[in-house]
Amino acid sequence: MAQCVQSVQEFIQDSFVPMVAVLCSEDAERVTRKNSLSFPELLRPFCRLTSEGHLRDPNNQVVVVKGLRISVTGINTRPPQTPEMHRLLSQAVSVCQPPEGSPANVITAGDYDLNISATTPWFETYRENFLQSMPASEHEFLNHYLACMLVVSSCEAVPTEQFLKLSQEQHRIQHSGEYTHPKWFIPNTLKYYVLLHDISEGDEQRADSVYEDMKQRYGTQGCYLLKINSRSGSTGADEQMPDPWSQYLHKTSIHNPELYEESAVSNAVENNIGAEEDGLDPSIRDGPLVFADDNETHPLQLDQPTDAGYPSNNASQSVNNVDMTRPQKQASVTSHTTPTPRGTCLTLNDHDHIRQFIQEFTFRGLLPHIEKNIRQLNDQLVSRKGLSRSLFSATKKLFGGGKVPEKSIAELKNTAGLLYPSEAPELQIRKMADLCFLVQHYELAYNCYHTAKKDFLSDQAMLYAAGALEMAAVAAFLQSGAPRPYPAHYMDTAIQTYRDVCKNMLLAERCCLLSAEILKSQTKYSDAATLLIKMTSEDSDLRSALLLEQAAHCFINMRGPMVRKFAFHMILAGHRFSKAGQKRHALRCYCQALQVYKGKGWALAEDHINFTIGRQSFTLRQPDNAVAAFRHILINDSKQSAVQQTAFLREYLYVYKVRNTHSCIMEALTLFSTGEKQAATHVSLDQEFDRDLSPLWRELEERVVAVVNRGAVPITFQPSQCCLNSQTDNLRYPLAVVEEPIIVEVVFRNPLKIPLALSALCLLWKFTPKDFSDPQGNTTMALNDIIDTQVIPEFTISPEETKVARLKLLPHKTGELHVLGVVYNLGTGEVDNSEGDLMCVRGQQNLEIQGPRLNMTKEEKTSVTYGPDHRLDPIITPLMPLLEVALTQAINFFQFNT
Amino acid sequence: QSLCVHLNYPLYIRSVPTQGELKFHYTVHTSLDVVEEKISGVGKALADQRELYLGLLYPTEDYKVYGYVTNSKVKFVIVVDSSNTSLRDNEIRSMFRKLHNSFTDVMCNPFYNPGDPIQSKAFDSIVSTMMVQAC
Repeated sequence: MAQCVQSVQEFIQDSFVPMVAVLCSEDAERVTRKNSLSFPELLRPFCRLTSEGHLRDPNNQVVVVKGLRISVTGINTRPPQTPEMHRLLSQAVSVCQPPEGSPANVITAGDYDLNISATTPWFETYRENFLQSMPASEHEFLNHYLACMLVVSSCEAVPTEQFLKLSQEQHRIQHSGEYTHPKWFIPNTLKYYVLLHDISEGDEQRADSVYEDMKQRYGTQGCYLLKINSRSGSTGADEQMPDPWSQYLHKTSIHNPELYEESAVSNAVENNIGAEEDGLDPSIRDGPLVFADDNETHPLQLDQPTDAGYPSNNASQSVNNVDMTRPQKQASVTSHTTPTPRGTCLTLNDHDHIRQFIQEFTFRGLLPHIEKNIRQLNDQLVSRKGLSRSLFSATKKLFGGGKVPEKSIAELKNTAGLLYPSEAPELQIRKMADLCFLVQHYELAYNCYHTAKKDFLSDQAMLYAAGALEMAAVAAFLQSGAPRPYPAHYMDTAIQTYRDVCKNMLLAERCCLLSAEILKSQTKYSDAATLLIKMTSEDSDLRSALLLEQAAHCFINMRGPMVRKFAFHMILAGHRFSKAGQKRHALRCYCQALQVYKGKGWALAEDHINFTIGRQSFTLRQPDNAVAAFRHILINDSKQSAVQQTAFLREYLYVYKVRNTHSCIMEALTLFSTGEKQAATHVSLDQEFDRDLSPLWRELEERVVAVVNRGAVPITFQPSQCCLNSQTDNLRYPLAVVEEPIIVEVVFRNPLKIPLALSALCLLWKFTPKDFSDPQGNTTMALNDIIDTQVIPEFTISPEETKVARLKLLPHKTGELHVLGVVYNLGTGEVDNSEGDLMCVRGQQNLEIQGPRLNMTKEEKTSVTYGPDHRLDPIITPLMPLLEVALTQAINFFQFNT
Repeated sequence: QSLCVHLNYPLYIRSVPTQGELKFHYTVHTSLDVVEEKISGVGKALADQRELYLGLLYPTEDYKVYGYVTNSKVKFVIVVDSSNTSLRDNEIRSMFRKLHNSFTDVMCNPFYNPGDPIQSKAFDSIVSTMMVQAC
């Protein structure tokens, strides 16, 4: 697993926090709305307590509560439904990308130097979101509401009456049995009465008097007067106010529609790209559509028909935050242009007020309440069964044999074993354990969990037992001083039970995340990796991808880093990411894995990775990377089958084409290794130049010269036939004559197992006119007036063939010529393809010839230097006499020598 | 079945049937980590009389992966179908020994450049016969 920002202890503590519900009157809601926040949202940034709290456990020992966080939510907040939750999570992950140019962590393992991001913020985001959106379960009380805040505005006509109404409402929600959600921790929930006073509007005197009245009625511990909105909303001149809400509320709304759009559309693109020529089109066409869709089905939108399980405020008279969806929705729609400012009516003083309020609520209200309940539960447990409890159950087991426990009449049987009624005595001990856990009394919590576990196991209540096991393990880990080692096998059993017996993947996943984090902190990386890999499954690609990635990080962080396992699991993670529509993450995974496979001779694996990288980059509109990746597959001596190569090539050409429409930069298409080149000048025989015959020609020429000079060959004689190759002396610029053709031979090699078709093949050159007779020559003339370039319309190379192309230039002017390279259209060898014209790209291959290695001086011998080679830079001279020989009769002219 | 010989990069790799080749390559590559772990697990002092045969590296769902390391740290990996029960530990061990012998022959070839991929007909044929036997 990668490093995390939070420590393990912080992470676990933050995963399980006391839950507080909020019930707001309509007026109070209006007051907070001024800041475009609901009341729970208003409190959220201040929910972590900075000071220590104290409470006494049943043995009258003081327990210190440090850094407690409470979670405040509206009473009708429901955990997102499964599909919605999936969407939220995948959004959170896709928005969270590695920062550009983040300090990469270089890990050296054996002969590998790997660049790996040390942290994986997307995983942490996922985990946080996942844990927060866990639905409340029957078998545990950790995320059941412990308390309820009743909030009434001071400008209400009769605030006390309103309080009474809200209180009844709360009672109705909890006790009437109409609602299955939300769940409540204890029957007598703590009610905390909050009078919300808007300083800019209301009458302060009146608020104070109402507060006095409340104190009489509910006691000083049970009520609070919260004054906010000191600033009227319009005076927003000084925008220097910190916005503590941004980090809490941004996450839930889409602020980067582009990213989201990508993740939504990408699947369609992926399927199309291989099959169709216009693979990109659907995504472009669909893009705006999907984008519009986003606003329609916004994840925050709650205006579906409310189901009976939830308290809906439409029916009741006190309308709470039903309205809240609409402003938020609008906010997110407009958020691309101007993010709605939050908390505009609050001054820093107000922030302090809120902070104080939370502190007061927790220390005076919540903690004493918890303390009281722990004490009560403890008394109950001791009085009812005492110590004989476990003894009794043991004897019962011994003598009772397989007898069904007596309480089973009240129990419902389900697949996961028993279901206790919510007030069953067996659950009381679990309740107490949970309370102790929430206030960080881990020792007592562990003991309770342990006892509860035994009870549940003996009853075969598997879900409950798994829950108790899980929390017992966590509590044992969190005990300071570590009196006992972390019982990893508890966690394993819990995970297995959750998954196999209860079929509850969410709980299993939570358990796995906790356990992996704990194991990681104890540097048991290999155990953590096994755990994470076991948790991957077919039902959620996103989860599997994230867990596999973390497993990969575990492998690399081990004492002896397992580089290859890391790479392999990265590939698996990348694959799952791409299935989950997380293109960017997929690409990143593959790129990290490539570092391991690169250049080690694992050709098939490397090709596979490169191919995937190519595709992913392409769908992410990074055509440059895509082209580079695809090129890699084709350039190297590919071991793939012909069919595969055809597919690769098609894709490459297609990507290349799309890229060119984006940006018109032409780049060298270096598919071929060019062999030797020859510049044949002067001789234009119908017969092509043949090296074996060249001495013949040379001798013939010598004889002619001898005849002309009456028998003596001059010393300055040089054969005028000139064909340059790598063996000839190429230091001088060769001379070529105007109106006589220059032929360049280029050797092409096709390394692939499929035929390639080049078309419109011709030379690329640069010409500097130099008139040798007339110094002031003008240069304004058409290209074809300077040099005729011969174009070879079709040039097919069979699989793995080496073929020579003969390219001709015919200069019309004198000057200096430089042959730079060849240009061609590259296409697949398929002729039947109707859009063959579509499937070819313009390529360019520069001809750069290295001269012979210099080996004369000492300096040259000790270093590697190469001489110049001017084969391809002929100087075009004015017309010279041209000897033309016409052979009228087919005499055996050439045989005089033999 | 798949087979491969190498020093962290493949000197020789071959598999039957050929369609699942990519998977075999990934399997073999990943198994190298286990090989290295096993080697480093054995104490330095014992390195001399170390057993070359490493035994079953790990079982996956479909395959069993066996490993063997020569004294010069050349690794041999054999992957067989886990449904193939005819192959006992002993057979695998003798397969490795045979492989090692013929590998030594290849190394004795003065024209062989250590580190190059193995292109030897004799080695090829021995591997082929072994694969035929195993199938």
